[in-house]
Amino acid sequence: MNTIFEEIKDAIVDGDEDLAVELAERVIAEKADPVQAVQLGFIKGIEEVGASWISGEAFLPDVMMAADAMKAGMDVLEEVLAAGEGEGAYEDKGKIVLGTVAGDIHDIGKNIVGALLTSAGFKVYDIGIDQKPEDFVKKADEVGAKILAASSLLTTTMKSQKVLIEYLVEQNIRDQYKVIIGGGPTSAKWGEEIGADGWAETADEAVLLCKKLLG
Amino acid sequence: MLPKFDILTDEQINKIHENSMRILKEIGVEFSYDPAIEVLKKHGQRVEGHRVYFDPDFVKEMVAKAPSQFTLHARNPEHNLVCGGEDIIYMPGYGAPFIYEADGVKRDATMEDYDNFVKLAGASKYMHMTGGTVVEPTDVRDEIRHLDMAYSHIVNSDKCFMGSSSGYEYAKDTIEIAALLHGGMDVIREKPALICLINSVTPLKYDDRMLGGLMAYAETGQAMVIASLVMSGSTGPATMAGALSLQNAEVLAGITLAQCINPGTPVVYGSTSAVTDMSTGSLSIGNPENALFTSASAQFARFYGVPCRGGGGLTDSKTVDAQAGYESMMVLFAASTTGVNFVMHTAGILQYYMAMSYEKFMVDDEIAGMILRYLKGFDCESEEKMAFDVINTVGPGGHFLTQKHTRKNFKLEFYRPELSDRQSFDGWSKESLDTNQRAKIKWQEVLASYVPPALDPVVKEKIESFIEKRAKELLNK
Repeated sequence: MNTIFEEIKDAIVDGDEDLAVELAERVIAEKADPVQAVQLGFIKGIEEVGASWISGEAFLPDVMMAADAMKAGMDVLEEVLAAGEGEGAYEDKGKIVLGTVAGDIHDIGKNIVGALLTSAGFKVYDIGIDQKPEDFVKKADEVGAKILAASSLLTTTMKSQKVLIEYLVEQNIRDQYKVIIGGGPTSAKWGEEIGADGWAETADEAVLLCKKLLG
Repeated sequence: MLPKFDILTDEQINKIHENSMRILKEIGVEFSYDPAIEVLKKHGQRVEGHRVYFDPDFVKEMVAKAPSQFTLHARNPEHNLVCGGEDIIYMPGYGAPFIYEADGVKRDATMEDYDNFVKLAGASKYMHMTGGTVVEPTDVRDEIRHLDMAYSHIVNSDKCFMGSSSGYEYAKDTIEIAALLHGGMDVIREKPALICLINSVTPLKYDDRMLGGLMAYAETGQAMVIASLVMSGSTGPATMAGALSLQNAEVLAGITLAQCINPGTPVVYGSTSAVTDMSTGSLSIGNPENALFTSASAQFARFYGVPCRGGGGLTDSKTVDAQAGYESMMVLFAASTTGVNFVMHTAGILQYYMAMSYEKFMVDDEIAGMILRYLKGFDCESEEKMAFDVINTVGPGGHFLTQKHTRKNFKLEFYRPELSDRQSFDGWSKESLDTNQRAKIKWQEVLASYVPPALDPVVKEKIESFIEKRAKELLNK
């Protein structure tokens, strides 16, 4: 086996973004198999970190830096993968558009959820903070995501989660997406009230929820 | 009152202060609200977009304009409070959206809970004021929540309370209501009757809503807590010194803005900095690091000559158990013995500000009583207190139980717990109630026997018609 795949795995486990990019560029330059680079390198690394996190040995900085390194490296490989050489090689577990709702500028909780979803094999498109319903939909349509994940930290901005769902209903596209919500003041009851497809209190529960919804 | 102790050396204070000044000057702070940017521009600060780079000398000059203490006025002058100096002010928790019940049930907080906590604080001997946003009353539309909350504080107690800071408009409404209560805007301009909470968004940001609130309070001379909550490890550096420097920079930026708007307007240096649980990313507040941030903040407030807000009965526990007790005691004790003046979240909080609990309120009320007694320290002011004569009367081998000196003084000197159980095992085992169960009985008794102090019907009518008018306008917007 090409040792570069092992090096990629280690770079992900170390959360070394620069090295992950450098190795991905080497994969292209040396015409190594990008499919194997993904499966034996990036995915293997992120799975290892995810497992350590679940067992309590790894902490958030480990997981989040690994997710960032993976994203940076995969971005480099995206072109060769898309060019057909590795067609179908990297089957992500599903695409998710993630953002903090309109009026709210808190992003740490959302970032944690994004990292853990990435480490669980989902492809996460983080659209950032203070995002309107149309921003969620636009990104989802662009990338073909089926889950919209909306975060809110304030009791005063929770209603924007409701507005997101109302927007989908108005546009007659509610059945095209699963909407999940989270954030400090939210609850299962609130999720039911506004007709969300799911609610999670913590980031690891969000991973389980997405697996259930896309399973 | 006991002397307050320092936890930082002068050298450490200077290092952190200089670090904060460097953050303000070289990194700057983002203010999203244009009117705030205009104010700081006008005062000669360098502005790029929404980011303000502060001149350290200017910051020092503006912070020096803030009073070292001020009086907050209650509708009953007996409950007027001095904020600053040696004084300490306790009040209920702030902002929790949930209630955790004694049996572990979690539910949304309602306006009925709101009234109940205001009443419990009104009835308490140890809560100096009734606080603000004692829960988020989720059954009231948020356009008019600020009106109903202010009304609850006014009719259910005659102690001082906090007002809304949720944007300029809501803040103004609450200030109007306080003016009606106290006999006019001119009166409260002279004698501040409201205080609000302004939070930065760490790291280094203030949002529209908070800046609007800040400007409304500063313009009318009402008091405000300007606070930063650095979650060390996620929204701030994982080093204590780094996190404290960041917090300090944010709070000084807020105080500077308030003093630009209205020099001398009363402000309180606020801190709720704590740590991140590095496995889950959640905030964690019942820990020694929080106690250290709180004590260091009290010392920084003294250094800048302003009152300090921090600490509370803080815990990460989800129920009234040993963890809730020991964590809350640690943080409230640290706050109280190192010079915090204004303690939001003294009573009721569970799970890092997410929930209020009636039982926890009673536990914290007991903790507050114990600490207030501790703070009184020893009284050596009279011959009677030194007790030489009674020791002489009793002599070697006797006892003091039948001395008049004893009968008079134990009531003056000993703290009498209202929730703690001091019975024998047999006495306790008749019912075998733990603290949680005893607290549940206790708060129900307190609520059942509480009679809110009467309010002048003319004033009440004025406030009610103002609220009715505003509610109509806000709901029809």
